[in-house]
Amino acid sequence: MKKNKKLLISYSLVGLFIASCSSVQVTEEAVYEDSIQSIEVSSNRSSLEVPSSSRAVVANATVYFEFDKYNLSTRSIQALKSISDLMSENPLIEITIAGHADERGTREYNLALGQRRAESVADYLVLKGISRSRLTIKSYGEEMPAVSGSNERSWGRNRRAEIN
Amino acid sequence: MKKIFIFFLLPNLIFAELLLEITKGSENPYRVAIIPFQSDVSSVNNIVKVIKDDLLRSGEFYILDESMLLSIPSSIEEIKASEWKLLNIDFIVLGKISDEDNSSVKATYEIYDVSRKTKIRSSTVYGIPGRLRQLSHYVSDGIYESITGMRGVSTTKILYVNEIIDNDNLNYILYVADADGANEQELLRSNEPIISPSWSPDSKKVAYVSFETGMAKVFIQEIASGKREMVIENDHQISSPAWSPDGKFLSLTLFQDGNAEIYILNLATKNLTRLTKHYSIDTESSWSPKGTKILFTSGRSGSPQLYEIDLTKFNTKPSRLTFEGNYNAKGSYLSNNDGIIFVHRSTNQFQIALKYFDENFIRPLTESKLDESPSVSPNGNVIIYAITDNKSGMIAGVTLSGATFVLPATNGKVREPAWSGFLR
Repeated sequence: MKKNKKLLISYSLVGLFIASCSSVQVTEEAVYEDSIQSIEVSSNRSSLEVPSSSRAVVANATVYFEFDKYNLSTRSIQALKSISDLMSENPLIEITIAGHADERGTREYNLALGQRRAESVADYLVLKGISRSRLTIKSYGEEMPAVSGSNERSWGRNRRAEIN
Repeated sequence: MKKIFIFFLLPNLIFAELLLEITKGSENPYRVAIIPFQSDVSSVNNIVKVIKDDLLRSGEFYILDESMLLSIPSSIEEIKASEWKLLNIDFIVLGKISDEDNSSVKATYEIYDVSRKTKIRSSTVYGIPGRLRQLSHYVSDGIYESITGMRGVSTTKILYVNEIIDNDNLNYILYVADADGANEQELLRSNEPIISPSWSPDSKKVAYVSFETGMAKVFIQEIASGKREMVIENDHQISSPAWSPDGKFLSLTLFQDGNAEIYILNLATKNLTRLTKHYSIDTESSWSPKGTKILFTSGRSGSPQLYEIDLTKFNTKPSRLTFEGNYNAKGSYLSNNDGIIFVHRSTNQFQIALKYFDENFIRPLTESKLDESPSVSPNGNVIIYAITDNKSGMIAGVTLSGATFVLPATNGKVREPAWSGFLR
């Protein structure tokens, strides 16, 4: 496609002429198209996250949420209590909280919703005396479903915050 | 902490091709006869096919089948208006394709108005051999604008994201393609999600959200050079980019306040101005055609609804625009500022809906289950959106006159379509 670029430009100089004689529209134009460059990026995920195996104690949990909600359920609070206990006893543990949403609704709103879910988890832990500096919060919205499928069961498992 | 590798792509990687299917036309189309083009170019049939598909996809045309032609006039002078009135034809298109030399193909076409018994257009387009689809799109846009009085969008482009599995790895590819889905080319390939692609008003750059650093970040990429930059570098998530109509500002959603809030970034000075301040989610901003208002999704009423902020009035409270249903999100203005389109939830369906400002009800435009990401054509006449159907995802389109089409992908899931501005 690149080899055509020069030619395209020379044509574009011809431009677009519109002359109006009585009611007939007369035009002359040349096809013009910019070139397009492709690039590729790749993230090395292991370099982004502390490998959990290098920690003496592992804090892992997943908590689930209702549709379009980010408040913690009683069951979630129980799971988070063991995380906060673990973190209180092991001051070196730092965690990442990643919020997620199900596929329904818009992607950007779901990204924000996932963030709120992760924040809810963080707020609870901070309330329990864990320093916010030990928490990394992020959201994947609906982009990283835990399970596929467009049904209530899958959606319920995808509306979550993962603690690692 | 960030390790980003950038290298130029090798050809022949797996790619998705979109195949156009026209599903339904409008009820009151312009009736057009396209006389077989005179040509010494072997691909003339393909050229005419692309022109016909472009016109049909707009939903505003009925094209007389070639077998129904009563005569084949070789010039405007040979047209007998009475004959065409019999067939109820409104306009006749005559064309000719010729090889100018090795580097140029010439298309000439004329349009005859049957009721006024007169020629209304006479045009010439010079194209490149090997790029004949583009030549065809120029011709169809010329025909479209002479007959409807509106600018055509066949020469415009679309962006979309394709999620594919390539050698067992999940790949996300941002594509740019012609408005009919053909001629797709990769802009960015990543192993982390890409969402929310958005065109600069001059259609030379795109902004998008990439998760390549491990969290959502907004990038701007120049289409011609591949040159790209992260617009704000900090430790927080940033998403939902939208260009102001003058191209000088980018509205964004920043998460640095512990919550999604909308900011406006001055691209020259990098100054940030905070636009929303509320403990609920504020995101999905988009600009009014004149750049004086910003439409956004907010959860401040307890469920996502659309709000508008007037940028010309200092410190005004956002006004709520949607009241029907418990989910109205991802809005954008129609290009003539008559109304907005958005994602609306009705009972258990997410569909694309339209609300005119002078009406107090909304008009659902689509009817599948999980429709999202509506994007309006630059002439304001067509809306493309993403549909999800269990495992597949594809782009569908609907015109304001009610015509529909789909662009199914041959590989993987296609979503997040975004329509460019006029390019011709």
